[in-house]
Amino acid sequence: MVAGIPRRRGAVSAVGHDNVIRTGISEVGARRTVDFRGARAVIDERGEGTTVGYLHGPIGCPPHHPFLDVVAERCRVAAPSLPGCTGSDPCDDLRGIHDWVVAVSELVDLAGLAGAPLVASSTGAMLALELAAVRPDVFSHLVLVSPLGLWVDDDPIADPFGTTLTRQRELLTADPARTAPFFDDVEGRDASGLADDGVVRYTTRTAAASLVWPIPEFGLTTRLHLVRCPVTLIWGESDRLNPPSYLERYAARLTNVTATRLVPGAGHLVEWDAPALVAEVLWNVIGLR
Amino acid sequence: MWVDIDPGLFDPAVAHRAYNDYIDELEHAAACGFDGVGVNEHHANAYGLMPSPNIVAAALARTCPDAAIVLLGNSVALYNPPLRVAEEMAMLDCITGGRLVAGFPVGTPMDTTFAYGQNPATLRERYHEGIELILRAWTEPEVFSFSGRHHRLRYVNCWPRPVQQPHPPVWIPGGGSIDTWEWCAREGHVYLYLSYFGYKAAQRTMKGFWERVREAGREANPFQAGFAQFFAVADSEAEARDLYRGPAEYFFNRCLHVYPGFADPPGYKTANTVRAGVEGMIERAAREAAQRSASNAAGFFGKSGLSFDDMVEAGYIVLGDPDQVAERIVELTTSLNVGHLMALCQFGDMGRELTMYNTELMATKVLPQVSDLFEDRWENTWWPASLGGAAR
Repeated sequence: MVAGIPRRRGAVSAVGHDNVIRTGISEVGARRTVDFRGARAVIDERGEGTTVGYLHGPIGCPPHHPFLDVVAERCRVAAPSLPGCTGSDPCDDLRGIHDWVVAVSELVDLAGLAGAPLVASSTGAMLALELAAVRPDVFSHLVLVSPLGLWVDDDPIADPFGTTLTRQRELLTADPARTAPFFDDVEGRDASGLADDGVVRYTTRTAAASLVWPIPEFGLTTRLHLVRCPVTLIWGESDRLNPPSYLERYAARLTNVTATRLVPGAGHLVEWDAPALVAEVLWNVIGLR
Repeated sequence: MWVDIDPGLFDPAVAHRAYNDYIDELEHAAACGFDGVGVNEHHANAYGLMPSPNIVAAALARTCPDAAIVLLGNSVALYNPPLRVAEEMAMLDCITGGRLVAGFPVGTPMDTTFAYGQNPATLRERYHEGIELILRAWTEPEVFSFSGRHHRLRYVNCWPRPVQQPHPPVWIPGGGSIDTWEWCAREGHVYLYLSYFGYKAAQRTMKGFWERVREAGREANPFQAGFAQFFAVADSEAEARDLYRGPAEYFFNRCLHVYPGFADPPGYKTANTVRAGVEGMIERAAREAAQRSASNAAGFFGKSGLSFDDMVEAGYIVLGDPDQVAERIVELTTSLNVGHLMALCQFGDMGRELTMYNTELMATKVLPQVSDLFEDRWENTWWPASLGGAAR
């Protein structure tokens, strides 16, 4: 049993493990698969100690993830890939925001994250807020990176999908090269492997697009007051997708914002541009220094 | 040219002239002897101006009394509810006395996901469910309820009903999706490959379609397929090159400028199509437009655009005197095994007079040489019976 949160081994037994590096009784750097509604969901798990969660943004949760590596230096981090993303099977049942929230609720439980602190980014942050609004005790604390979910006509967020892949990279991080694990082919893969990778990327983009198409606003503003857990908001000063002006809008609508942080030189996915900084914020929140 | 083109460029005086020219040209085609006249659907599009094909189809319904009205068609996922499509198409079939061909394209990404905000991940499911509703609305003997994932109606009662029984022939315009081939092959609908890049480039797509027809246990009846092709006819090849060079260059190097960011929203293609590496017509248009833009430092309309000679050589345009064009049609239809030919006799900035000339030559000098190509061996059950189609 890992300190703090019991592992839900019963839910793990359906499919098995891959890429497991075992040290003693722990599994470090494992991407395990669990049964989710009769299909496969991938949960990335790294590190030891206090359990924290990570809910990814539009590029999914690829295995090469500097932010998770940093967090795993001091915590056990569990990061489920949403349906259709980075290895998790797509799910045909997801028709609207309510369906997504229920799916995330199930995945949070499967990942053993109920009651844990959660870092969530972009689309993942939107889902985390929606879930916290209807299940107030699901997370002990939310560290949110540039959540989507609000929309002001005069201050629109950028369209991340009606654009070229080159421009998408620029919208996601200050340094486009940081999204390489998601956008670029891995050297040494054969043709079949490259085709598989291409399909994974396409289905991940499809899942992300499906969640927010055509405008990522589904009434969250009417539910934010229901989020009771403490919230820390992080925004990149150079966020080209979700303007930093939305940070104050969230801060004004949430009732328990304990800190806000505007990060110079960071774009939309701050955990990719500044992984150590976001990890530091998380450790402060959970009392690890 | 699509989705976010500056609305300030629209000139209603031009539109008034253009719409009336379109209708005149299609009526002329019917009068010259074309078997059918066709209209299609695009949104936020400057070269087509046809968000509602049913309006123009209605204008043609009575003025083209001997031609099929080939509606290519209604992008079903954009109609809420799709019952509206069933009603309007039934109206057209009644007005024409059973001369409608019912086309149901998925629609381009620009039209469906960007101009009309449809979720690309659920677009095809919504589309298929809509077609199911339409076909049931035409054929169910009683009032019925329909509870789908995307459409819910407690009382479905389509008035009027179509003249053609069990329903008008169904044609599915497609641009290269594997799943569309499979569905058409399985359901027995016409697969109509709409590509602006000519018959030589279409070989792989049509080969894929016919493989699936055979896998579905059906014969490769060419009348279960169609193809769209640009034609440029004159009294001589030299004259044709002279007359049609400008409009062709205008279309391919200006009208078909598709912003790559709008060409392939995630989810529009299925995983099958992605894995097979099949490039759809819109993707190809966007890729070639981007290549032209990248190589042209002087501006988009500069000399690096596709040359007219390249277009002719590649088969984008079938060009020549009537005999030459007829010979190429035989090559096209037999190599692709298509029994329905969508002849695009107007393209780019081609004016009314030249369009009428091209259309008339095509109808009176070319088509008589090729119209019976497959009829000695195959029955055409995908054509209105009142116009000679076989019973279904």
